[in-house]
Amino acid sequence: MSNVHSSHYGREIRVAWAIAVKDMRTYYTKPPSLMFGILFPFSLFLSFSIGRNMPLATQIPILISQTLFFASSSIGPVVIPMERANQTFDRFLTSPVSLFSILLGKTLAGIIYGAGISVIPVLVGIAFLGSQIVSIGAMIACFALSSLAFSALGIMFASIPGQTPGQVMMPLNFVRIPLLFISGVFTPIGELPTWMQAVSMLSPLTHTVELARYATGGETFFGPVLNIAILTAYAAAFLFMGIRFHIMNQRKE
Amino acid sequence: MDHINFEVKKGEVFGFLGPNGAGKTTTIRMLTGISIPTEGTATIMGYDIESQSVEAKEQMGIVPDVSNVYNELSAWDNLIFTGKLYDMPKAYREKRAEELLRMFGLLERYKEKVQGFSRGMKRRICIAMALMNRSHILFLDEPTSGLDVQSVLVIRDLIHRLNQQGLTVFLTTHNIEEASQMCDHVAIINHGKIAVIDTPEKLKRTVENIQSVEVAFETVSPNMLKELKEFPNVSNVVKEGDKFKLITNDSTSVLTSTWNYAQKNNLRLITVNTLGPSLEDVFVKLTGIRSATEEEGNDRIKAQETPRRIAKQ
Repeated sequence: MSNVHSSHYGREIRVAWAIAVKDMRTYYTKPPSLMFGILFPFSLFLSFSIGRNMPLATQIPILISQTLFFASSSIGPVVIPMERANQTFDRFLTSPVSLFSILLGKTLAGIIYGAGISVIPVLVGIAFLGSQIVSIGAMIACFALSSLAFSALGIMFASIPGQTPGQVMMPLNFVRIPLLFISGVFTPIGELPTWMQAVSMLSPLTHTVELARYATGGETFFGPVLNIAILTAYAAAFLFMGIRFHIMNQRKE
Repeated sequence: MDHINFEVKKGEVFGFLGPNGAGKTTTIRMLTGISIPTEGTATIMGYDIESQSVEAKEQMGIVPDVSNVYNELSAWDNLIFTGKLYDMPKAYREKRAEELLRMFGLLERYKEKVQGFSRGMKRRICIAMALMNRSHILFLDEPTSGLDVQSVLVIRDLIHRLNQQGLTVFLTTHNIEEASQMCDHVAIINHGKIAVIDTPEKLKRTVENIQSVEVAFETVSPNMLKELKEFPNVSNVVKEGDKFKLITNDSTSVLTSTWNYAQKNNLRLITVNTLGPSLEDVFVKLTGIRSATEEEGNDRIKAQETPRRIAKQ
């Protein structure tokens, strides 16, 4: 029995990985992926940082958080509507694999994209700006949990039955942009009024920023344990809701 | 869909024939797991499509109405990726991909990206992808829709050969001729309900009293359609290309009328054929909808007549 289960799970993981690799090959260089995943966070960061009297090294955690946030959450909303439009998403639904594995494959593609792009500011910070990683564990947790949570967020929004990335990106940005303002990206959480601090704690992006700051020797408001716990909870919740919403879509068809 | 009930026998070609919007694609989408039915049950080779969906999906291959290939990937990579979705071992999926590319005449172009392929070639790749896992039943949604004549013949021949090898085929079509030529059983579906299921020949026998006379004149006048409709015992006239098809229950009387009409108007008859009932007649009788060919033919006549009417006014 246990062999049956292990082979079943092995199969699901192999298929999820095959889907992720296919998405990487097919969609990473598509214009919407480049625009929403790379251009968007870097230009937002530049418009925020240019002219501000902040040491560049302290801005690196902000850039890491933004790239993790935007790049990871952009792959699902780019890939799934495009696959719906040319009916290749149906190919997954008709293959002998669970919806969980299909969405896990899509989530993996988002994780690798977000984490891969976010490595750039880390390397630039270390090589040229004197940044230091004082907690490798916190940095790994920041990358792993944030890219998972944000990729799952993108997959959840991709359940909106659109056939172009724009149809999903628009509602997603209604959530993503306000999160930027309450997550301690532009203003440190300690400087916010108490009620805003409470709101800020509810944002997953807050905990990415906090973990990135902590990993590079900065101060955190909530502490790394709470950051990790909340990001884990969001990742699980987004994955669960994503699957539920995609099943609801199938029922509506 | 409205409480449909049917069974497809192993090894047969079963056709779902119906007008656009009848529910053909919806049925395929539910049977193949793309949509989830709100009620009812279905089994594929004994496996329930909901509670045993993985096992059911292992039995089937699906070719949708749009060739859903990955344009950015090569023909080879499309097949290999499909093999991965079915968790086929590497050596086996590579052997199978080569075998299918050879069978479908695409082996020489296996490295090329599919985006440069013609519609017919993409459709062939799509069918090859559906056969990667050696499925027992093949679902084809409008398999020849939008293809050129040569591709249509190639695809029909392929389906016929695969069926001869024991593959069960479930196809949807709005092409009556295709259903009549290819299917062992046909279900005529309209407004989400199955009107009738039978063999094409038995269905034709249900409308034995409907005959038709096909005539072609050397010259065609704009009023001809209207004049032919006025013949006694003619219930309808359809223009098909340069021919007119007069629907009747008394072909002898119509032949006489046609002969008299040609003589009176000094017209030379090129073709005169009497035809038995067709599947199209069954379809029209059951659905009240004429096929696309008929509609187009009559629209062309109307278009020819309109300027004259305007001129008279």
